[in-house]
Amino acid sequence: MFKKDDNEVEIKQAETIIGPSIKVKGNFHGQGNIIIEGIVEGGVKTSNYLLIKDKAKITANIEAKDAKIGGEITGNVKIKGYLEITATAAIRGDIEASLLSVAKGAKINGRFTMMDHNKVNEK
Amino acid sequence: MNIYLYDSFVNQKKHNNTLAQVETRLTDLGLNGKIVRLNLMTSIYETLENEIKNGAKTITAVGNNQILNHVINALARLSAVNTVNNKDILLGFIPIGKADNTIAPYLGIGQAQQACDVLSARRVEKLDLGQANSHYFLTQALITSQGTTVKIDKNYSIEIMGQGEIGVANLLMSSNSPSNIKSSPQDGLLELFIKTNGTRKFLKHSSHLSNHSVFSFTDLTIINNKHQLLIDYTVQIPAPVNIMIAKEKINLIVGKERGF
Repeated sequence: MFKKDDNEVEIKQAETIIGPSIKVKGNFHGQGNIIIEGIVEGGVKTSNYLLIKDKAKITANIEAKDAKIGGEITGNVKIKGYLEITATAAIRGDIEASLLSVAKGAKINGRFTMMDHNKVNEK
Repeated sequence: MNIYLYDSFVNQKKHNNTLAQVETRLTDLGLNGKIVRLNLMTSIYETLENEIKNGAKTITAVGNNQILNHVINALARLSAVNTVNNKDILLGFIPIGKADNTIAPYLGIGQAQQACDVLSARRVEKLDLGQANSHYFLTQALITSQGTTVKIDKNYSIEIMGQGEIGVANLLMSSNSPSNIKSSPQDGLLELFIKTNGTRKFLKHSSHLSNHSVFSFTDLTIINNKHQLLIDYTVQIPAPVNIMIAKEKINLIVGKERGF
């Protein structure tokens, strides 16, 4: 999992990187860490960490173990563990997570549901 | 039994000394065998089929990227049609000349006499092959991103906005690869790398990483009406091209300094 600031340390650990000049259409399912800097239309699912950078534009439902969101999302976000929403994020959709942090300035239009952190860990 | 397949260009005068040194070194190492000198009319496939039927155990390509790719293709096709039992056949490589010999260093194989020592050491690795339509490749396939659409695993498609290059790597030929993500020819996966403008030459230097994209896959289709795909730096294939990890593998004799 990514622990440090968003830069090369994270990029080295990512299995998939969707760069800023890339548009992905369809259901994108991965097992490893994913970094999104471009456009995604469809669905995104990973059993690991998801990093959505500031300039990313996503029209899709998202599922991941942990995530950090800084870009625009139109769709529901379901995170089993820890979700970090940064100041540049703009989310239109419902959010589900067991641990959450939202930075000042983030724009969110949707419903929050907090899952029981202990139950998630038991699974 | 050892079989040495000499590419036609190694018969040029300028390679005489190198070849003599190679042959002497092979004899010293007890690796001498039958030499087959290829020319434009020789079918590598039929040559290998006959030699394997006659008991060849080690096939060594002598030349450059092109002969290596052709021998890999012939061995993989023979394996695919099961006409000969070549599952235990070893493939060696002796690069001659520096021109068009970019693959050897990533296999840990030095020039000429050093390659003989690698053959002698018999460090064998079973490696995956990529398959682009009916062509096999060991290292990577490249195409410009201009006008290219990529469909991966039939689940999603990728559009590239902006000019650049697309590479599909089995054995990534750069220690300083995009994002330093590992691409192993032994993991049963291929990696798709997309580089758009704003960074330096593809798969050579990547100090600036922000315009790179990376995907792992087992099956993809590349569509481009104008440009062709270049595999192993030798063969051009017109698109659309279906690229997948091949069922066939090769047993390659590699050096200690290999890049995977």
